Amino acid sequence: MISVRNVQHNYRHNGVVESVLHGVNLAVAEGEFVVLMGPSGCGKTTLLNILGLMMSPTSADSVALAGTETLGLSDSARTRLRRETLGFVFQRFNLLPTMSVRSNVALPLRIRGQHADGAVDKMLDRVGLLPQAGKKPGRLSIGQQQRVALARALIGRPAVLFADEPTGNLDSASAGAVLSLLREFHRDWGQTILLITHNEHLVGAGDRVLTMRDGRLHD
Amino acid sequence: MLALAWANLTHHKLRTTLSALAVGLGLALFLVSNGLATGSIGEVADRMESVQAELLVLPAQENMVFSGGAVFTPGWTDHLASVADEQGPLATDVIPAYWSQITMGGQQQRLFGIDPEQMPLFLGDRGMVAGHAFEQATAFSQRIRELRATADGQPLDTLLDDDEWSAGLELVIDDRLRRVGQDGHPYEIGDVVRVLGREFRIVGVVESGVAGRVFAPIETLRLINDGGRQRSTMFFIKLRPGLDHLVAARLFTEQLGSTVQVQPTSDYGRRLQQELGKVFMYVNVTNTLALIVCFLFILLTMYTFVLERTREIGILKSLGVTRRGLIGLSMLEALLISSAGAVIGIALSFVAQAIIAMRLPLLTVELPPQHLATAVAIGLVGGIGSALYPGWRAARLEPAVALGYE
Ligand SMILES: Nc1ncnc2c1ncn2[C@@H]1O[C@H](COP(=O)(O)OP(=O)(O)OP(=O)(O)O)[C@@H](O)[C@H]1O
Ligand SMILES: [Mg+2]
Repeated sequence: MISVRNVQHNYRHNGVVESVLHGVNLAVAEGEFVVLMGPSGCGKTTLLNILGLMMSPTSADSVALAGTETLGLSDSARTRLRRETLGFVFQRFNLLPTMSVRSNVALPLRIRGQHADGAVDKMLDRVGLLPQAGKKPGRLSIGQQQRVALARALIGRPAVLFADEPTGNLDSASAGAVLSLLREFHRDWGQTILLITHNEHLVGAGDRVLTMRDGRLHD
Repeated sequence: MLALAWANLTHHKLRTTLSALAVGLGLALFLVSNGLATGSIGEVADRMESVQAELLVLPAQENMVFSGGAVFTPGWTDHLASVADEQGPLATDVIPAYWSQITMGGQQQRLFGIDPEQMPLFLGDRGMVAGHAFEQATAFSQRIRELRATADGQPLDTLLDDDEWSAGLELVIDDRLRRVGQDGHPYEIGDVVRVLGREFRIVGVVESGVAGRVFAPIETLRLINDGGRQRSTMFFIKLRPGLDHLVAARLFTEQLGSTVQVQPTSDYGRRLQQELGKVFMYVNVTNTLALIVCFLFILLTMYTFVLERTREIGILKSLGVTRRGLIGLSMLEALLISSAGAVIGIALSFVAQAIIAMRLPLLTVELPPQHLATAVAIGLVGGIGSALYPGWRAARLEPAVALGYE
């Protein structure tokens, strides 16, 4: 489902080049739940952004998603792939503050031009937030906000879910709720998941744990 | 998309309202100043064209708007009457007019000096609202003509006693000017008004729409301005029935030479518009600047939205909104603002029209559907245009970078 070879990435600020990824290789099978750990600043988010087509690597031999080689794709093709096969959950939720919870969750369907209808409320019910559907995200607790974000990421049934420290901002109870939802969805729908975390408790959630060190991945 | 645009606009109510207001004000300025220009010109033209005479004779090269004084010497009345084709004279009536600039109703007015007996040609089918179209002025004019025949070179004004003089000091005004009046009071029959250094009496009020807002006996103006010599500012010509106006106008010019211009009366509006083209240009330049400023306001608003919502743009991108979609979103928001602006602008224009009609009844603001449609079109096109750059800026951001913003 995910297959990358020799990904290199450098950041350049004020003329100083910082090399973050030096030759990452990774293969994730369809339906696999992979947990990615590593010290802060080692490049986990950078890798996830590259895999999620949110930025381009400085160089790479291959970045393939769902059987499609993405290197050299046009911006609109990358956007379409992102829209149709990828879902994201971020540490900072990234909900749209101006729209209601329901509209936030409906957004991926709307963007695809699909009717939201009952699916949105069903999804909200599943994450236990149907009573909050009409509120703006800012009125919810942070644990609830992350569940909205999860609902939004999964409503379009993406083949791959990227989660970047989804519990990083949560207390342990909320973190537990988010994690068990993640596992439920994974069990029911079998999407491929790549989850970044510092939380030792989440390690057991995945099928496989990878550690990033010195810009490379280790089993 | 619409929901998203709407959510954003309503989330920033003050900013959205202010930009819509800016567009509204700009468009209202455009509509009202254009409406004033076309309305006032149209009104003047309609009034001139209301005279029951087919041709208009002005000195050549004379500016139609600012002409005054009396360049036509006494012989011209006969001159004009003598222009003929094989079937005889072209004119059945030669109608001299003598224009003076005066101030009445708190505003510059063109005082129309005319022969009281020719007043029906100016009235057409309009009636008197009050009083009469001159009382003693007809007899006065008669008396002046007699004196002129016998004066033998003496200035006529020295031959009149005070009573005889006052018979000629009559004014007929139109209803619009009557309503404006002086010092907050409408004019009434019998009011004495000081113009041209004399005390004139208002003896009649005619329905609005006649050539002048103020009429006086032509001989009175000639006495005051030209020592009673039979000079005229311009002429109207009533043609023999069945003559083509343009052909007749050409015959007049041919036979009278290049010192005069003879035009169909019905052409007055078009020619006036032409002459005022330069004035219009200033109006248009001002309008254009005002519009540019108000669309810069939208641009700034949209740009601020983009800067402020960089993260949001990143989120939309992560969800798969294309570049085109983001530009579209920006345009949609701008379009909503500018449509609201167009509605506000049109509403404000009608309010301004009503206020002007109430406070300055001598001015006419025209808001024809074409102008309103133009304003709406400018609003929409300007709105879309000002959203392009901010939209493009938003579209260009890399999602990861956009998401990294605070
Ligand atoms: N946009 C950027 N511009 C320049 N340098 C960056 C940028 N983003 C990240 N970096 C640098 O790249 C390195 C890796 O960052 P990254 O965010 O990928 O680490 P991370 O493993 O996700 O860390 P954390 O666990 O703290 O989230 C860091 O040193 C960081 O300072
Ligand atoms: Mg990170």
